[in-house]
Formats: sequence, structure tokens, C-alpha cells
Amino acid sequence: MARPSAAAARGRRIATPYLLLLPAAAMYAVFTVYPLFRQLDISFYNWHIFPGASNPFTGLSNYGQVIHDPVVRTAAFNTLLYAVITVPAQMLLGLVGAAMLTDRLPGRALWRALIFIPVVTSWVIVSYIFAYLFNAQDGLANSVASLFAGHAVHIDWLAQTWTGNGVIWLVGIWKGVGWSFVIFLAALDGMPRELVEAGRIDGASEPVLWRKVIIPSIRPTVVFVLVLLIIGASQVFTQVYLMTQGGPYDSTQVLFTWAYQQAFTNFEFSYAAALASLIAVIVLALSVAEVQVLRRNPGG
Amino acid sequence: MALRRNRPGLAVCAIGCAALALTACSSSSSSSSSESSESSASSSSAAKTVTLQFWSAYNTTDAEASTMANVVIPQFERENPGIKVDSVVYPYADLLQKFLAAAAAGDPPNIMRSDIIWVPQLASQGVLLPLGNLPWYSPIAASALPGPLATTKWQGQPYALPLDTNTQALFWNKSDFKAAGLSGPPTTLAQLYADAAKLTIKSKQQFGLGVDGTDIWNVAPYIWSNGGGFTNASYTSATGVMSDGGTMAEVTALDNLLKAGDIGSDFRGGSGAVSGETGFPKGEYAMYLDGPWAVPTYTALQPPPDYGIAPVPSGTAGSISTVGGEDLVIPKNAANLAATEKFAQFLDSQFAQLAMAKVGQMSAIATYGPQEVSATPYYSIFVQQLKTAEARPVSPGYTKLDTDFSNELAMIIDGKVSVSAGLSAAAQQSNTALSGS
Repeated sequence: MARPSAAAARGRRIATPYLLLLPAAAMYAVFTVYPLFRQLDISFYNWHIFPGASNPFTGLSNYGQVIHDPVVRTAAFNTLLYAVITVPAQMLLGLVGAAMLTDRLPGRALWRALIFIPVVTSWVIVSYIFAYLFNAQDGLANSVASLFAGHAVHIDWLAQTWTGNGVIWLVGIWKGVGWSFVIFLAALDGMPRELVEAGRIDGASEPVLWRKVIIPSIRPTVVFVLVLLIIGASQVFTQVYLMTQGGPYDSTQVLFTWAYQQAFTNFEFSYAAALASLIAVIVLALSVAEVQVLRRNPGG
Repeated sequence: MALRRNRPGLAVCAIGCAALALTACSSSSSSSSSESSESSASSSSAAKTVTLQFWSAYNTTDAEASTMANVVIPQFERENPGIKVDSVVYPYADLLQKFLAAAAAGDPPNIMRSDIIWVPQLASQGVLLPLGNLPWYSPIAASALPGPLATTKWQGQPYALPLDTNTQALFWNKSDFKAAGLSGPPTTLAQLYADAAKLTIKSKQQFGLGVDGTDIWNVAPYIWSNGGGFTNASYTSATGVMSDGGTMAEVTALDNLLKAGDIGSDFRGGSGAVSGETGFPKGEYAMYLDGPWAVPTYTALQPPPDYGIAPVPSGTAGSISTVGGEDLVIPKNAANLAATEKFAQFLDSQFAQLAMAKVGQMSAIATYGPQEVSATPYYSIFVQQLKTAEARPVSPGYTKLDTDFSNELAMIIDGKVSVSAGLSAAAQQSNTALSGS
């Protein structure tokens, strides 16, 4: 058999990674890039869902409506608040849990599994379970509150703005903490132990060790977790849609529940496309800015 | 430890792509749920037999869906050899989205039983076949009740056939009335308020009146009867109607009743609320408005509640309830139109209308009224109420208008805004919803 020429071998070596990437790239193009640009396209028209229907070009008017919509302001505030509350909480709890389980504790594998179970549980199931726990009639939350109050308590947690938002945050933290825990656990496990031991020999206290040695060592992981959690928080949807439906009077609305309601309840597809496009741009800008800032200030 | 650092440009690019991917997935995932398996008749390979897809949200827990599938459709198939009908029943909450997805994919069912409030919304999207020029349309329209017929039109053109109808009347608990020394149901709104106060017994958790929510379906009978309303006659503006006169007076009256503790938990809603249909037989509500579907439910209870049904109490404008029910719609590009038209006509025929009337689906065709009342005597009060019942605003923006009104009314009864400010805001928001009409 003739040996392949050096040029052919080189060509194959160059082509192989691209060929391996091709299926994923094709899926990404069909299911992400195309919908994204189609969504952007729809946002400039008064678009009707029926094929062949007339779709007049409206320019930026859908964006104007989005910007002047008071519910969008409430939804944007609630989405921001969700990120501000749940992202640090998930990171902190995930890191603390990972730190506790890095040492060889008895039942380590069991604890890991228990903490990770919420991550793989369906959002729908979790949302319904929490809605039941916080039900005004016979929910566990009211049973516990009744024990402390000494009389029957019937708080309608999900029908009030701040208690409703609180339950939404709680679900987000409970469901998401296992993910950051596993990532941090892997990062801590992969960190050279001699760094920490050297710090201890030098007399560094635990807080100093964390601040000066451990966190800087796992900094890329922290950035990765932070960015993905912020992107995830910007997409908060399921628990709001299933537990409060954005109520009472749109006060627990978040950006994607409002976009969904506009598209599939009110048939305002172009408005929803404009809103979703704006969210995409904002999240992209935030993510890029975040990475840049964190890379420019590696120490702090 | 030598920490490996990726090139910043690549990292930014990767993060950017991830952000775009995640947001794009989120915004597009909902629209990807088209039901490709719901093939329409066009896919039928049989050369001579045409199979029609009929989508509905008939109740499967009682006899509605089974009567359609086992009585009405077999009769149609006997009368029309070569046409088969496949009845596909979805939960109400899923039906509209399934239809939208199928229509967007160019594969809608041949015919659908649509909630009356969806008709202008679907028509404005260009999804529905206009029926006005079909030769069989006019005779059916001429025999329909005016209220249900009004729900079939958008911009003056009919896009649906009236199929079934309903409305609400006042259910009152005879035992509670007797205990309160009241001889019979209230006939005026003023009496209703006074009776609600007398019938409220806080120690028994008994409320004089149940109002099942702040949405238009639940409060419109009070508002219309008191001379109020939601939009002008052409459904183009809410100003001067939703925020003035009878509407404001009636909302104030309901708000005062709630503050006095005479209306139960159902008005505010939420997970702690007990609906009228649940609370009435248990003695939680002495009066509430409900439709004919409640009667079989109560008949099945042991022991059944001791109750009567009366017209909505009259206000300055009379006794006016809300038109409910469903229409038949045919998608514009549905296959086998001739067979579909035959089936649509059959569903409004005497046989189909009276068969479905026996299982709670009141006929939208006026001429069958006496026969359905004779077969189902308790329909009489609802048939009487339908004569003056009004349709909710027939506009593509109705769903949004309803949400705007309902939210503002909820804020009013929660004390967040005054009646005047709340209704003005509702009218202003509703004008935006109506502007697309």
C-alpha cells in the first residue's frame, strides 16, 4: 500500500478538528443562530404567524413600544433583582459546600449526590412542589409559621409581590446551588494542595488563605460560574410562569414571562421578538464586559 | 501553581456565543413545539375516504367529548359516506397554542371549536377562512342568537360559526336565605348588596356573595347591569366607558362589599381562594354567578345543595349577563374544504345541537331553544338570560384588555390605587390593546 504523502497527512490533520466540529456547528447554526437572526428580522415587522399573511415593515416601532412599556421596567427590575440575589447566593453556598466536601468526609459521595439532585430535577416539577409548599391553604410554609405563631396562619405567599418574589428566588437558589457546587468542587480538587499547605506553614489564617491563595487559584472557574449564572438568571422563566404567572398585577413579572405572554397570549409576536432581541444584546454586552473587567483586574 | 490562562479574545468570543445561544434558545424554545404528529386530512392516503381533523377542548370528565365522538360524529359519518372525522380533544389551556403552532407550520386541523374570545385574535392574524361568502352561512347566521353571533365577527366580516353558548345567572342558597329571614333571591343590585350583608356570618365563614375573580367574565354582569361597560360600541376605545359612570359606581359598590367582608376569598384569587363552585355547596357563599355546567355538578353531590337559580339582579340598565361559549373556525388553508363545510353545517344542525345540549352545551341557534329547554328544564333561566346577555369586547386585543382591567381592579381592591385612578389607568392601557383592532 502506498504511504500517504506528507501534504495529504497534513491536510487531514488540519481538516479533522473541523470535521469533528461540523455536527455541533450545524446544530448550533440551525437551532440557535438562525432563530436568533429570524427573531431579529421579525422584530422589525408587524409579523403574523400565518404563512403568507401580510407583514408590514414597522422599523423600530416595536423597540419603542418595549422601551416605553411600564411592565418591561418592572420585569427588568425583577430580573435584575433575581440575578443580584440568586447569583451570589448560589456561588457562596456552592463554594462553602464544595470547601466542606473537599476534605475526606464520611459519606462524601452521598452528599455530592444529594446536593446535585435538584439540578437534574425538572424545573416544572420543582416549581409545582414549591407552589404546593407555599400554598395558602395547606402548604408546609404556613404549617411551620402556624407553629411559631401559635394560631393558624394562611399567608398567600405567591399572591403577594415580595413573598412571591422571595419564593421565586428561593427556587432559583435551591435548584441552582448544586451546579456551582460541582464546578467549585472540581476546581478545588484540582488545585495543588501544597499551595494551601505552604500558606498554613507561613501562618496564614483561614480567611487569608481563602482570599490570597484559594480564590485566586480558582479564579477562572469563579469567572466561568459567575458569567454562566448571570446568563441563566437573565433567562429566569419557568418558576415565575408556573408559580405566580407574573402576578399579582404583573408585579412578579420577569422579562421572559412578559415576552412569552406577549407572544402566545396576546399574539404580539413582533413585540416579543424585539424584547427578546434586546435581552440578548444586553446579556451579551454584560457578559463581555464582565470578562474584560475581571481579566483586567486579576488580583481583585 | 501555574494557572493556565486562555487568550482573552477567545474567551470573550466563547462567552458571547454562549450568551447568544442561551438567550436565543430561551426565546425560541416556546415556538418549537409544533405538533408535527397531528397530520391533517391532506396526509390521508385513502383515495376515496377523506378524514377530517376536528380539534376541541370538550370536557373529557363528563359526557361532552364522548357524546361528540360516539353520537354526533357517527351520525355525520352515516349521512356522509366517504368522510371520516377524527375528534382530537386537548386541554383548554393547550388548545390555542397547539392550533397556532400547527397553523404556523402550515398544517392546521380542518376545523376547530374555538373559545369565542379567540376568534377576533385568530382572524386578525389572517389564520381563519372568512365565511360570509359561503352560500350556507347566511341561513345559519340568521337563525343564531344575536349574542353568540356577535362573537364571530372581526371588522364586520364573519370568521366563525356560532356553535354553543352559555351565560351566568345567580345561584342562591335557599337554606341560607331562609335562615337570614329573606323570602327569595334579590331582583335588583341594591337588594343584592343588602342581602349579601345579611347573609354574611363571619363566625361560620359564610360570605353573602362570591365573585370568582377580577376579570371581565366575572364582574361584567354587575357592571353591565349597572349601566357601565368596557369599550365603545365599535371596540376602538375604552375612554369614557371603562373609567366612568356605571362602571365606576359598580366597582365602588363591589369594593365596598369586599371591605365590609361580604365577598369571599375568591374575588382576590390566589392559592387560598375558594371558587364559587366549590364554596357554594359547602355553605361558604350564599350567592354567586355561575353557568349551566354547575347544575350537573351539584346534582351529583350527596346530598345536593338546596339552591335556586335566578336572573342576574337588575341595575339601571336591566339584567345583563355575559355571553360565553364556543364558535367553529376553519383555517384558511385547511385541506378538504368541501367536506369540512359539510361537517360545520352538520354541527349546527338540529341533531348535533340537541345531542350536545343534553350534555351541557346550550345551542347557539335560537330555533332549538324550546326543544332544549323541554329536554333540560333548568336551561330555561339561562335561555332567558341570554336574550339580554352581552358579548365581551370583540377585538383582537381583548385578552390584553381583560388582563389590564383585571390587574387594575385587583390593585383597587388591594387598596393600592383609588377606584378612579385604577379605572383610568385600565382605560388608558386598554386603548393601547384596542389600537390594533
